[in-house]
Amino acid sequence: MSYQSIMKNISIHDRVFEALKKAHDVQPKLNAMVSFIDPTSQLEALKPKDNTLPLYGIPVVLKDLVNMKDTITTGSSKILANYVSPYDATIVKKLKEAGAIIIGKASCDTFGMGGTNKTAATGPVYNPYDLSRMSGGSSGGSAVLVASGVVPMAIGTDTGDSVRKPAAYSGIVGIKPTYGRISRYGIIPYASSLDHVGFFTNNVLDAALTLEILAGRDDLDMTSSQRPVEKYTEACVGNVSGQRFGIISNVTDAIQNKQTMRQFDDLCQKLKDQGAIITKIHLNDDLMKAMLPTYYVIANAEATANHSNLDSLRFGVQVEGKDNEAIMMASRTEGFGPLLRKRFVIGSYALFTENQEIIFRKAQKVRRLIVEDVQKALSSVDCLIAPASGNGAPLIEDSQIDLLSSEYLVAENYMAFGNFSGYPSMTVPFGFDGILPLGVNLTCRPFEEGRMLNLAQGIEDLTGLKDLICEVKP
Amino acid sequence: MKYEVVIGIEIHCELKTKSKMFSGAPVVYGAQPNTCVNEIDLGHPGTLPSLNKEAVVKAIQACMALHCEIDPLVRFDRKNYYYADLPKGFQITQQFHPIGTHGYLDIETSDGLQRIRINRLHMEEDTAKQYHVEEESWIDFNRAGTPLIEIVTEADIRSAKQAMAFVDKLRNILVYLDVTDGKMEEGSLRCDINISLRPENTDAYGTKTEIKNINSISNIEKAVASEITRQSALLEAGEEVQQATRRYDDVAKDTIMMRLKEGSVDYKYFPEPNIPPIQLAQSWIDQIKVDLPELPDARAQRYSSLGLNEYDIKQLVQNKALSDFFDILIIGVKNIKLAANWSCGEILGALSQKQLEQKSYALKISELRAMINALSDQIISSKQAKEIFPYLLKGESYDHVVTSLDVSQVSDESILKQLVEEVLNENSQSIIDYHAGKDRALGFLVGQLMKKSKGQANPALSSALLKTELDHRKP
Repeated sequence: MSYQSIMKNISIHDRVFEALKKAHDVQPKLNAMVSFIDPTSQLEALKPKDNTLPLYGIPVVLKDLVNMKDTITTGSSKILANYVSPYDATIVKKLKEAGAIIIGKASCDTFGMGGTNKTAATGPVYNPYDLSRMSGGSSGGSAVLVASGVVPMAIGTDTGDSVRKPAAYSGIVGIKPTYGRISRYGIIPYASSLDHVGFFTNNVLDAALTLEILAGRDDLDMTSSQRPVEKYTEACVGNVSGQRFGIISNVTDAIQNKQTMRQFDDLCQKLKDQGAIITKIHLNDDLMKAMLPTYYVIANAEATANHSNLDSLRFGVQVEGKDNEAIMMASRTEGFGPLLRKRFVIGSYALFTENQEIIFRKAQKVRRLIVEDVQKALSSVDCLIAPASGNGAPLIEDSQIDLLSSEYLVAENYMAFGNFSGYPSMTVPFGFDGILPLGVNLTCRPFEEGRMLNLAQGIEDLTGLKDLICEVKP
Repeated sequence: MKYEVVIGIEIHCELKTKSKMFSGAPVVYGAQPNTCVNEIDLGHPGTLPSLNKEAVVKAIQACMALHCEIDPLVRFDRKNYYYADLPKGFQITQQFHPIGTHGYLDIETSDGLQRIRINRLHMEEDTAKQYHVEEESWIDFNRAGTPLIEIVTEADIRSAKQAMAFVDKLRNILVYLDVTDGKMEEGSLRCDINISLRPENTDAYGTKTEIKNINSISNIEKAVASEITRQSALLEAGEEVQQATRRYDDVAKDTIMMRLKEGSVDYKYFPEPNIPPIQLAQSWIDQIKVDLPELPDARAQRYSSLGLNEYDIKQLVQNKALSDFFDILIIGVKNIKLAANWSCGEILGALSQKQLEQKSYALKISELRAMINALSDQIISSKQAKEIFPYLLKGESYDHVVTSLDVSQVSDESILKQLVEEVLNENSQSIIDYHAGKDRALGFLVGQLMKKSKGQANPALSSALLKTELDHRKP
């Protein structure tokens, strides 16, 4: 559902309560919501305001990592199952100021750590296009709520590809702008140097509008940028003529699915026909293969420190113990599943003094090399482009994946370069793998969101794949 | 055997900022527990640090006063450990790139002048404060996130006396900079003293102990001296010093074992990802230097050039609040020495240190100045000044007190006698006239005396004193 179509409904009350009803209706099928928020007080607060606010009365959902005062924010974890936020994230303030009504929190992999949404404390989220398939993650709940037409926009976060991948699997637009473009204050972290706030919409123009609202300097986030926010909606004209696209051939070479590649080649041909300049860019193969392990080291090292605050002494689910130390130990043991504990162990291991040089520091060096390689590529083209994944959404049941194949290491995980570099990156739908949507990823130079959205608009115009809604019958 | 004492000191100093190191919550000493906290101080999920600029300025001021090299690229790191008083599960500190390095402080003791090198000065945040009440432990998070600087010396200190002199001088400098209130008894300045002994003329360090929880400057000397005695007794007896953390017990007058040092903890330091490196402009740093407040040594020099003696200078300079009081007092004062005497004497006796620091007294310095000037001009005597002073302390004006006490009449015989002398010496003809029976001569002399005293001499007493003296001078 686009902003435009929901605004046809004059009553903001109806807009919000219809969305809430739909969210409840699809819940048994999609399992996308973790908690619902009674919108009454928000609606009351909104009424006296100007109905020309950009998101006036638009229902939205937050990924369950986003703090909103007096609401439950669990991070889709067990340890924060009872956590009531004492404060608003900066983006929550911005959404409210823009007139949006927040109706609930969407499921994600615990603390955003995963790419399947299968690790959420409330269980997996199902793909509306095929309920036996995953939403992707970690922002899976947010993605499917937009894809199934419950809300026109949902907030996600993206540490490796956690917005862009589920967007691709759900046939919608998913964007994470440049690191520092949107404040992270109030978002439960995964890995601070890689975390980005992103979001999902049904079309590119809505994404441009949303970015205008969410972007900007926040003194509460020292990594947020001082740059003025551009008029992204005005940049979104879809003119690709003369624009230089660089196809990442490491990715396209690794993709085995012929259907995917045929449609991707078609798209590139159409772009060429519109006057775009299409070239192939080959990034360093060794670095591309090193991307995932490098990511794991950095992300888990930061995560183990980031989540050391979860000791259940001041908030969170507390397990009894004879003293503070015993409470901490018991609560953390009980509150974190084995997967999370494994991540923390890996992260700690990488940070031990005797390992730091050969693991953590080395990963930082590899990260720098990858960024330099991407930066070099973007000096000769305006945009790097490749399918966001080789195939449509995988089955929820564990499938056989060769964890060391190029298909997995490169084609399924390359988008983390957007997190390593902090460069703006987004996916838009470009075709189907059977009935499953496919997305194409665009990555541009830092703070060139305007250019990126314009190119995405061009692709959307060429494919006609916008405002795709996959209704789920209750 | 003769031993050489080797001492290094680490000082944690709470900065006197309005808000915390990484959050906007206020820093207020003695506030109700857990009232000066926000979501950042409590380590709530999703919060991020934002650096307090005022704290950086204060850290740089301290670096400058200690002649440190300043790293213009400010960076922070995480020190990871779990403890109930550490809300985030890590402390944000400057492990890899301290803001200040390679500084020094010169101290003077009876051993002579000595340079103590400063290894590093870095910024960090304080932890919360735990109280153990019977079976329970209570935590006050007000202190969590309070800005700190940690100053680490090289192992250049060689005696208890030097250790005390170093901390005393350092503390005074930091107080002059208004970087800290420097109160050891309230924990805003805490020192950990590392002590070891080694046979004279050897290089290898002996096993060290660390003394914590010293609550006053004078206890530093006592604590270090007793620890030196303890360690040398052990070594003399052929025993080993155990590497341990000890505390000084004020009552037992001895150091007491707190815990043995076991294998060191791996804090897994790594760069703080939420604070990007901040490049300080040289012009900004230079401006801090220009704006640097007067330091104790400079103030002592200024006092010396005003003609104060060593004793007064020392008295004043070691007490910044008093010295600040004195500096206001002497603006327009006629007799600096007198002002110094009054500051170090009556003022120090009448006002508490707290009153001086907080300027919470009714006394108006301008009125005290008026009194000191009158005293200097001999309009009033010191005896009268001592009568007037208690009223000034209550906030009354000098003129008002003088009128109401009727002390504007100079009745001090010693003052009047001197005036009589002067008048008679200057008017020898009148003495002859007086003894020749001319009554008007006495009237004339009284008039001269009144003129000399600016009309404040007690006429009756003056007249009587003149008569007596005239009789003495009968030709």
